[in-house]
Amino acid sequence: MKKAVLLVSILSIAGFAGPAFADGETIAVFTKNQTNPFFESVRIGAAAAAKANGVKIIQYIPVKPDSIPEQTSQVEDAIVKKPNALLFTPVDYKALVPAIEKVNAAGIPVTTLTDKLAGGQVVSFVGAEDFRLGYESGQSLMKALGGKGNVIALEGVKGTIGNTDRMAGFTKALKEAPNVKLLTQQPANYQRLQALQVMENIMQTHPQIDGVFTANDAMATGVVEAMAAANRKAIIASINGSQEAIDLIKAGKMHVTSSSDPFMQGCVGLLTTLRALRGLPVAKEILVTPYVIDSTNTKQYDVPVSSRVCPKIEEIASK
Amino acid sequence: MSQVEAVAPKFKLTLSRDVTDVAYRLLAVAIICVVLSIASDAFLTANNLLNVLRQASLVFFMASGLTLVILTGKIDLSIGATVGLSACVAATVIKSTGSPWLGAGAAIGIGAIVGLGNGLMVTKLRIPSFIATYGMLWVVQGATYYYMSGQSVYGFPAGFRALGSGYLLGIPIPVYLMVAFLIIGYFFTKRTTWGQQIYATGANTVAARLSGIPVNSRLNLVFILSGAMAGLASLIYLARLNSAEGDIGETLTLPTIAAVVIGGTSLFGGVGSLFGTFIGGLILTLILNGMNLVNMNANWQPLVTGVIVLLAVWLDMKTRSKTDG
Amino acid sequence: MAQGMATLGRVPGVAFVLVALFAIFAAMSPGFSTAPNLSNILVQSSILLLLALPMTFIIMTEGLDLSIGAVLTLGSVVLASVAVSTGSLTIAFIAAVAIGLAFGLLNGWLIAWIDIPPFVTTLGTLGIAQGLCLVITDGTSIVGMPPSLHFFYSGTVLGIPFPLILAAVAYAVMHGILYHTRFGTYVPALGGNREALRHAGINDRRVLAIVYGIGGLMAGIGALLLTSRISSAHPTAAIGMEFDAIAAVAVGGTQFERGEGWLLGTLLGVVTIGVLRNGLNLLAMPSSIQVICVGLLVIVALFFDGVRKAHDS
Repeated sequence: MKKAVLLVSILSIAGFAGPAFADGETIAVFTKNQTNPFFESVRIGAAAAAKANGVKIIQYIPVKPDSIPEQTSQVEDAIVKKPNALLFTPVDYKALVPAIEKVNAAGIPVTTLTDKLAGGQVVSFVGAEDFRLGYESGQSLMKALGGKGNVIALEGVKGTIGNTDRMAGFTKALKEAPNVKLLTQQPANYQRLQALQVMENIMQTHPQIDGVFTANDAMATGVVEAMAAANRKAIIASINGSQEAIDLIKAGKMHVTSSSDPFMQGCVGLLTTLRALRGLPVAKEILVTPYVIDSTNTKQYDVPVSSRVCPKIEEIASK
Repeated sequence: MSQVEAVAPKFKLTLSRDVTDVAYRLLAVAIICVVLSIASDAFLTANNLLNVLRQASLVFFMASGLTLVILTGKIDLSIGATVGLSACVAATVIKSTGSPWLGAGAAIGIGAIVGLGNGLMVTKLRIPSFIATYGMLWVVQGATYYYMSGQSVYGFPAGFRALGSGYLLGIPIPVYLMVAFLIIGYFFTKRTTWGQQIYATGANTVAARLSGIPVNSRLNLVFILSGAMAGLASLIYLARLNSAEGDIGETLTLPTIAAVVIGGTSLFGGVGSLFGTFIGGLILTLILNGMNLVNMNANWQPLVTGVIVLLAVWLDMKTRSKTDG
Repeated sequence: MAQGMATLGRVPGVAFVLVALFAIFAAMSPGFSTAPNLSNILVQSSILLLLALPMTFIIMTEGLDLSIGAVLTLGSVVLASVAVSTGSLTIAFIAAVAIGLAFGLLNGWLIAWIDIPPFVTTLGTLGIAQGLCLVITDGTSIVGMPPSLHFFYSGTVLGIPFPLILAAVAYAVMHGILYHTRFGTYVPALGGNREALRHAGINDRRVLAIVYGIGGLMAGIGALLLTSRISSAHPTAAIGMEFDAIAAVAVGGTQFERGEGWLLGTLLGVVTIGVLRNGLNLLAMPSSIQVICVGLLVIVALFFDGVRKAHDS
């Protein structure tokens, strides 16, 4: 009796999936996790572009956020399903190379999205330069500081390519402002709670902090809270352009965030993959133009992701 | 069997043990504090110490419920995931109704329901707690992902925020809450029948059952309390961070267990105290604080925590075998 | 013989779950029951099996090893760094196995002679191994593996994938140890009846330490597969895999008390987890639902066993 109930319940869960085949091309879309709003925007962008062009997409997201073995398994599973192409954001730019080599061997074309791979063959890369994001947010911070003062930097997960490039961009902006002193640079792993606590601790040793740079918006919100709780003020610069950061900028609690436009990355990534499938020329590398959001232009970017519009397939760069 | 009589003397021993245990732990805290104040001028300031206490409060709320579970000889691995789900639901409730009270009710209610689920799996289905709560971890985590669909919820009323970031007479409000729960917890565990039954259940479940203690109800109770405290912790988290995301609970469970263990509560059950857990959380928080103050690479943190866990338990066993004669 | 009968008599809930899942996925996803996919599932499960086999022994002694995923990761990090610095895969593999064995024996020593409970011991060594991974790599991946490493995860011998051969050998050896050696009879006794073991003049501490040592050793061997699989080492690559291994053992019907364990059940548990994840992927199930299903699998399989236990008693 109970066994029957179990079967029915599993079947009813399985019913979510619907038929496995549809008309038109099928593209497998891989993102790193289902918790970061950035990748949700990427997925929404890819889904919007797919819908507009009659393409079926399958989203693969690791059950454990950013898990290397799991994404590797998902790639292997996807090969079994034989999608027409992969739009692929590697959870680690080196560790996923062997998985993509298998996709290459299976003859399925791959476009990388957001993070480049250190090897394997790809049709195209669609993303943004993290270095430029770090540099532009950093520059905006230096300018707001008037070229002098004490700053703190909070890093994301050490060793990830995005974090390395963002911090390198920030370091360049810092070097160009010789009178700005970096008090300390510590990792808070892109996490809010860690950023809050690390900031609370750092504030104890440094009575004068004029500016803070964080490698993502989630950490910036932790810094905002730490500062507010201690009744202190600093100019906060960050990266990601999340709705939350835009609201904080509007409220005057944050100075700047820069965005690599995840929605557009999702759109362009999918459309580029599709162009290659349909025999249209594609560029080897397409960098989505990042934008910098501060109090002067919040209105322009304060649009919900779901109501944004993808470009048309003809508008995608071909070389 | 002689097990029945064995419960009472063993229990008495536990009480006298607590005094020495606490003394040793306070000594450990004192030593850490001396070392840190030598290493950094900023350490021994009123501001920093209050800062440490406030950070420790979040650990304490999660770890106190878990302590009760561990006192019965069981474990709750779903605690971090429960904090995540409670925080996310409470956040949306507060946003949509504007009422922190409804949000608090949702957080604690969800925690208690998850806890009840854990309790029933352990008492009715007789699934080992380690496995039951591990399964629950995934179910709760998945529900959280489903509920949030990759978004974050943020921006709560100032009155609610005070719970996490406010001050009263210069002392952070969560610190008052922590002290209040420490006192309530002390009376509950040491001065009420239920509390003593929890200890007795952990010390020897069979004997406890034979001596008429409603073991299953007490087990359900501790799991419900553990979930409810996770719900409460999620409120402190929300009030401090002013935002919630689907992934907040993922990294919280193992440090919470470490805090309980460093605090001297035995995973076999029957031995330990909430005060010990408070100190365990304090030690972990002090270490992180110290590492930040002296600008030490955070990569060392898991290693240092691991060594402290082993050291604390080893010292426990040394001192306990001495007091036991 | 009697042993065989006993094991048949208690087919765990996982067997039913596995059959049910298999039927559902085969019916709903055309790609599922193809030879390449089934081989794919087994290859994917091989690393987990290497951890779950010794975990079965450990749980039979009423113990637990939370550090095994972190030790596997550390083995991989050591293997990769030694391979990069010496250029020799042999030395690198020996180093990985040595570090795994060292951690296993450290666990065993702390548990058997210092008497620190297994949960706490391995929680501590989990932190130490994870910290070492981060400190050695400074958080980054290690790349530049010799091309020959590729074989160990992707190569085949007589058409059979190498990881499957390794897993089969590991299973056979562990099965042999548990059911056909004297040492194997001590393992359940450590959990169920340690006093009797001591009275029989057996050095129970040494047996216990060896059991944990085997766990570390297998983690070191697993590091070869993991490193080959991702052609690199990453400091968090297999963090958390210990819980999957423990879940596989529990789902496979090994009891957390009284030293009752069943190695074939563990194999079934590992395969069931692999089948579930693979099938859900092929069905393109939303990721959040997949997360819930993993939890339900654990609960449902144990629920069956619980029902039968209640029925028996």
